[in-house]
Amino acid sequence: MTAEHAASVEQPKKRARHEGPKKHIIAYIFSLVLTILAFAVVVTGDVSVNFVYVMLVLMAAVQVFIQMAFWMHMKDRGHLYPIIGILSGVIVVFTMIIMAVYWAWW
Amino acid sequence: MSGHSHADGVLPHEPEKATLEGRNKVLGFWLFLGGETVLFGTLFSVFIALRDQVNGGPTANELFSLSVVAAATLILLTSSLTSVFAIQAMHRNQPKAMVNWLLVTILLGLGFLGLEIYEFVEYAHHGHTFAASAFSTSFYSLVGFHGGHVAFGILWISLLIWQVLKRGLTVVTAPKVYIAGLYWHFIDVVWVFIFSVVYLMGKVG
Repeated sequence: MTAEHAASVEQPKKRARHEGPKKHIIAYIFSLVLTILAFAVVVTGDVSVNFVYVMLVLMAAVQVFIQMAFWMHMKDRGHLYPIIGILSGVIVVFTMIIMAVYWAWW
Repeated sequence: MSGHSHADGVLPHEPEKATLEGRNKVLGFWLFLGGETVLFGTLFSVFIALRDQVNGGPTANELFSLSVVAAATLILLTSSLTSVFAIQAMHRNQPKAMVNWLLVTILLGLGFLGLEIYEFVEYAHHGHTFAASAFSTSFYSLVGFHGGHVAFGILWISLLIWQVLKRGLTVVTAPKVYIAGLYWHFIDVVWVFIFSVVYLMGKVG
């Protein structure tokens, strides 16, 4: 039983180096800056509404990309199927959002 | 497969990927997150379509207080970072540090939830109740559903902490913690779109 169990556990070939917190803290700071920028655009914004909308969506998209790549490890190896899984969801969502915006706002 | 730690008692590097079962759990969870994306997408598209239908009630611009939203955003973003630290502690095989970071994550989650409840109560006093208008219904459906996810995450991570304290960090418990971390990040990712699309765009007009 124990031998069988041990066989199902793959030990790493070489001693893996643990990644430090540095990258994640940088991702945090980037997210923080993008969040502050988004609020700043709205609070101080004297620009057109459409410009603000585009800026907000872009900054949200960048922030989400950073968080998914680093915090959710999507940039790491072996994440092809996770990316396919989440992307198929995103494609459906894009279709729905475009439909809602097109029907309600134009 | 039994819940005991394996023969030599040494936890492998990245214990969440050490067994096929663990890897399948992570993959299955990503597919679930794809479904969750669709689910939140439907709520977003309904909100976007109906957000101006206030039915004589308060508008988004009159209602929202950006300082509360900014505080909630900061709290949730920080909790996402502390859950990263928990997974890193797990990779260093430090269950105690992992549990501590998970506790910090839960506390921040509770803080976020408290702010949201305060906010909703405040809105209700201004006549912004669930059935007041198409705007209010779609608002509470979207933001409340996210809040429900936060509440569920707090409950889930609490149970995981209890299980790790009881059984230790093994190749069976590690994938569960890793998946809960993914879930928590996903909650934060959804919030990024909520504060951008619901609150900030609501303030602009």
